[in-house]
Amino acid sequence: MKANLLGKKIAFYVLIIIVWQVIDSAEIWPDNIFPSPIEVGEDLLYGISDGSLFYGIGTSMWRLVIGLSIAIGGGMLLGIFMARVETVNQTIGSLVLGLQSIPSVAWVPLAILWFGLSDSGIIFVTAIGAIFAVTINTYTGVKNIDPSFIEAARNMGAKGGQLITTILIPAAFPYMISGFKQGWAFAWRGVIGAELLFSFLGLGFLLNVGRQLNDVSQVIAMMLVIMGIGILIDGFVFKKLEDKVMTKWGLR
Amino acid sequence: MGKIEAKNIIKYFQHDGKPLKAIGGVNLTVDDGEFVCIVGPSGCGKSTFLRILAGLEKPDDGEVLLDGKKLVNTGPDRIMVFQEGALFPWLTVEDNVEYGLKVAGIPENERHDISKRYLDMMQLSQFANSYTYQLSTGMKQRVAIARALVMDPDVLLMDEPFAALDSQTRDLLLVEMQMIWQKTKKTIIFVTHNVPEAAVLGSRVAVFSHRPSVVKKSLDIDYKRPRVAEDENLGKFEKQILAALRHQGPK
Repeated sequence: MKANLLGKKIAFYVLIIIVWQVIDSAEIWPDNIFPSPIEVGEDLLYGISDGSLFYGIGTSMWRLVIGLSIAIGGGMLLGIFMARVETVNQTIGSLVLGLQSIPSVAWVPLAILWFGLSDSGIIFVTAIGAIFAVTINTYTGVKNIDPSFIEAARNMGAKGGQLITTILIPAAFPYMISGFKQGWAFAWRGVIGAELLFSFLGLGFLLNVGRQLNDVSQVIAMMLVIMGIGILIDGFVFKKLEDKVMTKWGLR
Repeated sequence: MGKIEAKNIIKYFQHDGKPLKAIGGVNLTVDDGEFVCIVGPSGCGKSTFLRILAGLEKPDDGEVLLDGKKLVNTGPDRIMVFQEGALFPWLTVEDNVEYGLKVAGIPENERHDISKRYLDMMQLSQFANSYTYQLSTGMKQRVAIARALVMDPDVLLMDEPFAALDSQTRDLLLVEMQMIWQKTKKTIIFVTHNVPEAAVLGSRVAVFSHRPSVVKKSLDIDYKRPRVAEDENLGKFEKQILAALRHQGPK
């Protein structure tokens, strides 16, 4: 990142905090509705010092990683299958599009009934919220593979599983990355949403505790943490991965 | 018995929902070690014919025999060099060249030895670790040829591999291709729409007719090698090919 760009960003966020503090100082709203940035900062520091924040982040991340892994594995398999077998596409394909339109929190009641108030339930919501984005992108990626890649590979003797691992997956990978990126965003929303409703550990749970205690600064602090993690994962994990793949595949 | 034999190949295309007879009964026998060029008017199905030989498409009638045995599927005994190379962009040049060997389960050190030999032959050694987007079109086709040669196929099938090259690069590769052929003694079937290219490369040129295509004429090109495109003595062969092509306009 250029120093100039970084400077602009820092200046912007500093400005937001200043405006926030000025509005707070004007005392238009009481502190239990509109906390000052200092109070939110104190809440964050408190969460750090007693370890509850790290425990919350750890729990949410662990659920995210498991759920997203299931979504990526399952979504890739389903997407490849849909792209290569026309009957699967004509049948399951339409169902996938329909399921994709269900917001992940709408799966929560079913998850509670099926899995009870457990980690499995939250992971289920996370995975199912992300899987169809991976499926659709994988499907598009495999459909867009230059047919001569597949022909050349078959001509050189590749078959079945070999064709999938050595050609279909790497050739469709630039599309799949978009699927992983979308999938991660859906999974992150899913995990937080599910934790809010399950009220069973994690960042979403801490957010809900803040509401129950009427602690606005904790609510805002948790939202900032959720956003911060989102920015970090998007900017570091996926941006880096995408850049690497795009360069190697010669797409930029 | 030839090395590879096409017997009465017939193929229909779908054209505006109606079947159109593109290949109308092609018979072609190519002997072991022959370099046969196929030329024909555009749309005569010469590339499709090559794909049928490769087993990438099925004929509507007729059969292909390799060493007298009927062929059903595609396989590494007939390796195809595609017009655009069909190199895998996610692999380095070396990994591209070794792809078929890896699929065949050949151990790593053995693969390296084989690929090294052909990378040297195609003057690609210094690009072994490059990705294909870093290469010129001519370099890419060298990689595609190396990738085909490492498979040591019975027959090498080439589908207008030099069509997208600038004329300097093409002239260079035309000479190299003859040297490769002399060195490896491969049976090569080479499809092109470029008459001088066919005269330079082929020990025989098969001229396809307009569709539904048949082999209109088969010309032996008995001339010393390596030939170069600007050799005026090739002119008479080119004229014969052109005459055979012109003989029949579109019906």
